[in-house]
Amino acid sequence: MNGVELAVFLFFFLLVTVMGFLASRWRRGASLDSLDEWGLGGRGFGTFISWFLIGGDIYTAYTFVAVPALLYAGNMIGFFAVPYTIILYPIIFVFLPRLWSVSHRHGYVTPADFVQGRFDSRPLALAVAITGILATMPYIALQLVGIQVVLEVMGIGTNGDSWFARDLPLFIAFAVLAAYTYSSGLRAPALIAFVKDALIYVVILVAVFYLPTQLGGWDGIFSAAQDSFDAANEASGSVSKGLIPTGALHWSYVSLALGSALALFMYPHSLTGVLATKNRSVIRRNAALLPAYSFLLGLLALLGFAAIAAGVQTDNAQLAVPEMLDRMFPDWFAGVAFAAIAIGALVPAAIMSIAAANLWTRNVYKAFLKPDATPQQEAKQSKLVSLVVKFGALVFVLGLPNDFAINLQLLGGVWILQTFPAIVGGLYTRWFHRTALLLGWLAGMVYGTVIAYLQPTATDPNAHFGSSVATVPFTDTKGYIALTAFVINVLVVVIATVVLNALKVSPGRDHTRPDDYHADAGDPGVEELDLEDVAAEPPVRGTS
Amino acid sequence: MPGSTGGSRSTRPLWLLVGLLIAVGVIVPLLIPIYDQAEPTLLGFPFYYWFQFLLVPIVAGLTYAAFRLSQSATDRDRAERGLGPAAGREDQAGDRR
Repeated sequence: MNGVELAVFLFFFLLVTVMGFLASRWRRGASLDSLDEWGLGGRGFGTFISWFLIGGDIYTAYTFVAVPALLYAGNMIGFFAVPYTIILYPIIFVFLPRLWSVSHRHGYVTPADFVQGRFDSRPLALAVAITGILATMPYIALQLVGIQVVLEVMGIGTNGDSWFARDLPLFIAFAVLAAYTYSSGLRAPALIAFVKDALIYVVILVAVFYLPTQLGGWDGIFSAAQDSFDAANEASGSVSKGLIPTGALHWSYVSLALGSALALFMYPHSLTGVLATKNRSVIRRNAALLPAYSFLLGLLALLGFAAIAAGVQTDNAQLAVPEMLDRMFPDWFAGVAFAAIAIGALVPAAIMSIAAANLWTRNVYKAFLKPDATPQQEAKQSKLVSLVVKFGALVFVLGLPNDFAINLQLLGGVWILQTFPAIVGGLYTRWFHRTALLLGWLAGMVYGTVIAYLQPTATDPNAHFGSSVATVPFTDTKGYIALTAFVINVLVVVIATVVLNALKVSPGRDHTRPDDYHADAGDPGVEELDLEDVAAEPPVRGTS
Repeated sequence: MPGSTGGSRSTRPLWLLVGLLIAVGVIVPLLIPIYDQAEPTLLGFPFYYWFQFLLVPIVAGLTYAAFRLSQSATDRDRAERGLGPAAGREDQAGDRR
């Protein structure tokens, strides 16, 4: 344990937390303009500032820890995160403006609201809501692992033999996350965004521009990685590690990129941000500006190779980048970097857990269990469920192999992608039958979960959920389970729709009209959404 | 597809062009066989890596072109339906300040 490093880490960590807490009290009397600060458009902000703020939310434990770990380990498909974030934006460009329009005409604030309105099916809306909550848990679990890794590199809890000492960093991470969400809700993360993002950008820029000069340039970094993988391949007598995917891995690479890109905006927390934007064209303009992040994300991923060049040797690949920062930076700056990574994991985890909890309260609790709930009861539900969601995340970390935490996020993708046919399909056509969509969702969920369960890890053939790619049926190539399950889902939807329509089963009433899908701000019937309800609401407010 | 974004007969070619730009932006990054090689290197980066970095500004440019085209197509569609220009034009001017 290093005193200076730990002190700097704690200083920044506490500073940001206290600031957020004070800021939320200070702003409480004024207009509670909710989650605008980190909504995709950043309603009150110009393009540059919203661009800056959104970036801060994109760089999470996923980019700092999970993706570089794949590259460090010589996983040839690890760089898929770059094409994933490149194609994400053209995809957003296509369908999100339609969702924006119909949501603003009808006051929908969650995907489940839209599905209910479009397909007139409570079971389908429930399925969409439950999937959103379930899929968020492993995504939060990834952030927990990120915080755990940082604490471990700083020397907290590593030198113990008992399971408790080993998992101590995880429990600390969990406790901090729970306390953070409880004390400040979502307002604080929004208000500290500037400080948090400034920390993150400083660390990213120093890491991707200064570190390579210390490690023999990118030339030296790539050749060190190549040499290390060649040696490992020679020792194992196989070609399992490398810089560039071999032909057999092409479909894995492509399906991971495509599946991840299609899945991202089905998550409750990301969709709310989009709906908070001022008008349709903000979405499209931002779609053209945001890819700049993919550039930094790619350079961050390559830090996995830089760790090899720096001579970091660890069995847990996720420790590689933090250990390199520890080794290469002066103690005080390593402390800053670790604080940035930890806060960068904490804030999105808090946002996700609250978004999932509010989805529960709106689309399950109020829709099914207690339609006449008072605001106090709703706030209490959100608060409780946000805790349940975090416990769920903890179960995922403890119960699933987490030597590559990216698999946790990819498991979330397997589930959330199964809501795509109902949501995005519904934006374009009412041809799909509501019961068919439910059957397709069920088929995709069951297939995806079973196949993911059957995947062992590289080191333990008896483990489960060890990989996110599996053999595609009727072929011998491997692909991302989410995309295979999605194809099965769509096939079931199409076949079942034909059958149900032939049997003249009632398709339900469509509450939307064709011109709802093109409406823009200022048009008749377009209203400001009360997003405070779903995501911006600190769960504590009703009780304070 | 954006081609179905309420496009009338007169804006259909514009929407098709928007769809084409977007399709290129999504499909090209997924065509891994065109870039899965180490040579030629650039500033120490194998081709596989620098080509994907190069795709970032290219796809951003395609998406931006699609955005501008979609704006004028939307305005023409809206004019035909008797609506004013789409919201968001004024804050664009604001951003340039």
